[in-house]
Amino acid sequence: MTRIEFWTLTRRLASYAVLSAVTFIVCFPLVWALSTSLKPKSEIFATPPTLIPHAATTENYKALLTGRPQYFQSGGQQVTSGTTPAQFFTRWFVNSVIVTLGSTLISITISTLAAYSLTRFRYWGRTVVPYFSLLGYMVPSIIFVFPLFLVMVQLNLTDSLLSLVLGYVCITLPFCMWLMWAFMRSIPIEIEEAALIDGASRLQVFRQVVLPTALPGIIAAAIFSMIVSWNDYLFGRVFLNSLDNLTLTVGVMLFFEGTHVDWGLLMAASVLMTVPMAILFMALQRHLVAGFGAGAVKG
Amino acid sequence: MRAGFTLSDRAVGLLFIAPFLAAAIFFMVYPVVEAIRMAFYSYNPLRPDLSTFVGLRNFEFIFADPLFWDSFWQATVWTLLSIVFQTVFGVAIALLLHQALPGIALFRGLLLFPYIVPTVVIALIWRWIFNPEIGVVNYALQSASLIKEPIYWLSTPSMAMASTILLNVWKYTPFVVICVLARLQTVPLELYDAAKVDGAGVVRRFLDVTLPQLKEVLIVVIVFRTIWTFNKFEEIYLLTKGGPGTSTFNLAVYSFEQSIANLRLGVGAATGVVMMVMLSIGSIIYLRVSGFGQDEKSP
Repeated sequence: MTRIEFWTLTRRLASYAVLSAVTFIVCFPLVWALSTSLKPKSEIFATPPTLIPHAATTENYKALLTGRPQYFQSGGQQVTSGTTPAQFFTRWFVNSVIVTLGSTLISITISTLAAYSLTRFRYWGRTVVPYFSLLGYMVPSIIFVFPLFLVMVQLNLTDSLLSLVLGYVCITLPFCMWLMWAFMRSIPIEIEEAALIDGASRLQVFRQVVLPTALPGIIAAAIFSMIVSWNDYLFGRVFLNSLDNLTLTVGVMLFFEGTHVDWGLLMAASVLMTVPMAILFMALQRHLVAGFGAGAVKG
Repeated sequence: MRAGFTLSDRAVGLLFIAPFLAAAIFFMVYPVVEAIRMAFYSYNPLRPDLSTFVGLRNFEFIFADPLFWDSFWQATVWTLLSIVFQTVFGVAIALLLHQALPGIALFRGLLLFPYIVPTVVIALIWRWIFNPEIGVVNYALQSASLIKEPIYWLSTPSMAMASTILLNVWKYTPFVVICVLARLQTVPLELYDAAKVDGAGVVRRFLDVTLPQLKEVLIVVIVFRTIWTFNKFEEIYLLTKGGPGTSTFNLAVYSFEQSIANLRLGVGAATGVVMMVMLSIGSIIYLRVSGFGQDEKSP
């Protein structure tokens, strides 16, 4: 082994050691949540606490997915006696899925069409719109959540999933717009021109040439939009109130309203709420840098 | 050209932008204008018919309210500390990940993961692992003899502030990592080779080569993160509800509490307007830095 090889090896080992330590610290809360969710009640409070459960169980997950009442009674808002938040878990999950997919579909459709228009046609104000859109997504939700709620009151949409779909369009559209615009303008216009000369109509060109080329941008925007909608709490909290209509984020916070907090159940709920985002994240990895490079950032 | 209806280019262009303009006016412009209007009204959501124009009274109220100023300063401290830690950790982790090592993709995936975890989930996990009696963090610190008495992470003012900062840093450091990583990948390797030939060590190469290259992206990231962090709501509300007492209130929580708990929507809106003014200042800085209107071609 030469000196250079020795130093390369040492540096690599040091890098792995530091990376592993940092990754352990960053991932520990999630690992601990997973561990707690798999523990029976007796083991959750055991001292010393165990990282890998001795008697792993899926009872917490079963309770959530089958809606079996737990041993505690919750005294939260509109929880009638005999019902617990856990019974609504699957319902809330479905609500979250509906709202997330609905708002993402609308945001993506609107922003893709608009981005195409802004980058391919010439009219007054076309360069200003994306920047205003960018400013739009810097405005914090807390500012327009109440005015938007009053709009929903006027439209008679309060406490409905539709109101939430529209609310999420409001928070995701600006950055979908910005991303699609940045993406569209990077697509060379020559292919479209060739197709137009060959006799295709504008709409045919849009469907058969532009959409397939813009697909990576559309996917990135869709993933960001889904993450924002799925993770939101504020809009759900303000717009919804009947137990049946809640989304996961708002519903699961009700688990705290009882006198006794069932940590195993809460951590199982946390894991189940994170799984769809984890799946998306794996899909996102490839598009992450491209998307962020185009300025599709929201935090 | 195939038979059927054909649209002129101009019509297609306008047709495609129309849904966006409609959504933007309905969901973005209107709520913001309405929020500004509400700031000048005394508005009770239960009796909208009784809302009256009060001029600057809402602003006089908040500027005379000690809690508003407490919220302002707490938000400032919260933001500054969060940004410092996020930036330092973010750059450090990005440098660690910017190495050609086998398996680096796995580390990158794990270290970026917190960014997509729902805030509700993080808040729940935080409440569990930082629980003073049964939480694993206190257990670990006590068994390592680092502390004698349990730390009350969420129920003493300074520790609650520290816990919310920790949550914020944990969730949003990946954002800095992604942006810095994307930039690092475009730094020309020749710069490092030249520095090596000149005999620059690791530290010198970081200070003289890497850091100047990162300057621009870091300014943008810091401006964005400062704006967003200052206006965060869920990261604080879900973990501490602004407590204990009002020790972790920021302006978003103040606005929310005025609107929801006190039903003073006008006061909440006035707070929002103050937040928007500060946001505009930040945005102007961003537009200056990003060179808006100077270079049309690069996004």
